[in-house]
Amino acid sequence: MSLDQLINKRQDLWRGRAVSPATPRGVPTGFAALDALLPWRGWPPGALSEILEGRSGAAFALVQPALARLSSEARWLLLIAPPFVPYAPALAAAGLDLSRLAVVEAGNETAWAAEQGLRSGACSAVLAWGGRWETSALRRLQLAAETGGGIALLFRNAAAAREHSPAALRLGVRPSMAGAEVTLLKQRGGGGAGAVLEVPIRERFPLAGARKQTQIPLNAT
Amino acid sequence: MHWLAIHLPALPLEVYTRALEVETPLAVSRRGKVERVLLCNRPAAERGVRPGQPLGGALALAADLRVLPRKPDAERSALERLAAWCARFSSQVSLEPPQALVLEAARSLQLFGGAKSLLGQAAGGVTGLGYAARCCLAPTPGGALVLAAWGGEGLIPDGDSLRAALSRLPLAALDLRERSLADLGHMGLLQVGDLLRLPRSGLAERLGQGPIRHLERLLGEAPDPRRYFEPPARYRGRIELPAELERVDALVFPCRHLLGELAGFLRGRQAGVQRLRWCLYHGDGIEDTGFTLGTARPEGNPARWLDLLRERLERLQLPAPVRAVALDVADIRPLAPGSWELFPGLDCPQAPAPDLLDHLRARLGAESVRGLALAADHRPERAWRWCPPGEAASGGGRGDRPLWLLLEPLPLETRDRRPWWDGELDLGRERERIETGWWDGFDVARDYFVATTGRGERLWIYRELKGPRGWFLHGLFA
Repeated sequence: MSLDQLINKRQDLWRGRAVSPATPRGVPTGFAALDALLPWRGWPPGALSEILEGRSGAAFALVQPALARLSSEARWLLLIAPPFVPYAPALAAAGLDLSRLAVVEAGNETAWAAEQGLRSGACSAVLAWGGRWETSALRRLQLAAETGGGIALLFRNAAAAREHSPAALRLGVRPSMAGAEVTLLKQRGGGGAGAVLEVPIRERFPLAGARKQTQIPLNAT
Repeated sequence: MHWLAIHLPALPLEVYTRALEVETPLAVSRRGKVERVLLCNRPAAERGVRPGQPLGGALALAADLRVLPRKPDAERSALERLAAWCARFSSQVSLEPPQALVLEAARSLQLFGGAKSLLGQAAGGVTGLGYAARCCLAPTPGGALVLAAWGGEGLIPDGDSLRAALSRLPLAALDLRERSLADLGHMGLLQVGDLLRLPRSGLAERLGQGPIRHLERLLGEAPDPRRYFEPPARYRGRIELPAELERVDALVFPCRHLLGELAGFLRGRQAGVQRLRWCLYHGDGIEDTGFTLGTARPEGNPARWLDLLRERLERLQLPAPVRAVALDVADIRPLAPGSWELFPGLDCPQAPAPDLLDHLRARLGAESVRGLALAADHRPERAWRWCPPGEAASGGGRGDRPLWLLLEPLPLETRDRRPWWDGELDLGRERERIETGWWDGFDVARDYFVATTGRGERLWIYRELKGPRGWFLHGLFA
């Protein structure tokens, strides 16, 4: 029996991670178990979240449901320096409105572009991949997100877990047979750190579609 | 009738200094038998240099005085640009070279909140563009011009006060010949008022009809038709820098003036522009530095343009110091009137604001901000395309496609004739054959599989059905 289970059994114990009334409501991740783990019940709004992944691009699916939901707003979804081409057919099928999406090639100006996007208030979410991030640059992102009110999702290599970060939320993501194994590394207000969760991404993206069929054009127009 | 005259007392100097805060003494000279100081800036005045002084004397006072020749062309073009800017107040602006404008303001009074307010806005606006100005609002164009030129600023409400104001001016304010002026002086006539008290017929005999008619026009007793300035269809502004600029950030100051002028020019037409062409001149046979700024929608707000310009300047490498800055705008378009929701709470989803993307493009390059769209094609690399952000249609797509696509399929190593990627791959049981495209030269014959790695990652891989039948990684499901 784990310590968590032991504590949860007791009704008379109050734990610091309980939602304080000041915690704003986040953007639902689309995965009930993950929402339940986070005090915002979703991705923290107006704040920086770091997602540390083993292989670049591995955790993109984890944020898809939230992006699809945000794409109904009249604000941009900014994808800065993605490691591969975000594939339009899959994004559209996941319910994402492509007309809200802007992909930015920022060269070595990823931090600048992300900060501009967040500060402008014209983005519901800014996603950025790679790049080197000094603590001061991360703090600027966090401030820009507070100013603009969008969510900032920064995808970094798992090695960055050792570095200090002012992010409101840090998750470690590893592939698993169910989809992803998510480790809560840090969340603002403390508490819950170290919790590990299986997020059933597979269930969410079952790869529905006729895949056995062979497609041969009947005419060549 | 009300006429607003704008007199620019320091224009010959300002075609040089308007661009910059100049800390060193400067003077514009007037040619003649003896070259004299026409105008000088404040640092020169503090050293004792005065307009009218012979140049030799001025140089004795300030050895480092930079003497610049008068530039009639630049003055004229500055005046024209200012006239175009004035289109915001009136469609009837008349140039009064060398250094004044007059505009018919009767119809604008109400629009701009009365005479006082109009006067204030005009004076403030012209000063904001970097010119010293004296403004006078009077019942006749000639009267307003003469008063503004001779220091009579402010509001002249009616004919009587105009007559009174003109009476106080010296006779030199009238366009009289030197000899007439001297004659009148000998007669003890010194002010315009002295002239007005005399019978006109006698004056006409002595001075000729010309000056009398001039006087009548000033007072509004005779008609004074004006030729109105036709604003050009494109805006071209240029500022000569008094000193060479080496630092890029210092360029913002002159550029801001050009943008302010452009904004007035555009406002008079209710227009905006999408492309600004900037040119920085270096001289000495060095190629000019040119760049273009663009926005997604016609833009009339100078502050937005300035933001974009700052962004661009920050990244600019100058090959040499800059001597002049020019702005050229050709594609002037009507501004789309802002659409207002009848019920603001019930608005349907709108396209997000493009300002941010303009901002990013200005710094990162026009091609670096793109949107994604679907394309009707079975070939995976042709089933999507880049498009301008915001232009994709919503809906559609395929749920059995990976979230990431590799732009170039990655050849996979094979072991025992099976694909290998950090370990053995489980190919699953399903495959999708895509065999198409023979008609446009990019034909594809592949079997696609969803492969799972030992760690649980899902990959989109295919095997070529022709040639060496190699394996390739094409996408990641994550």
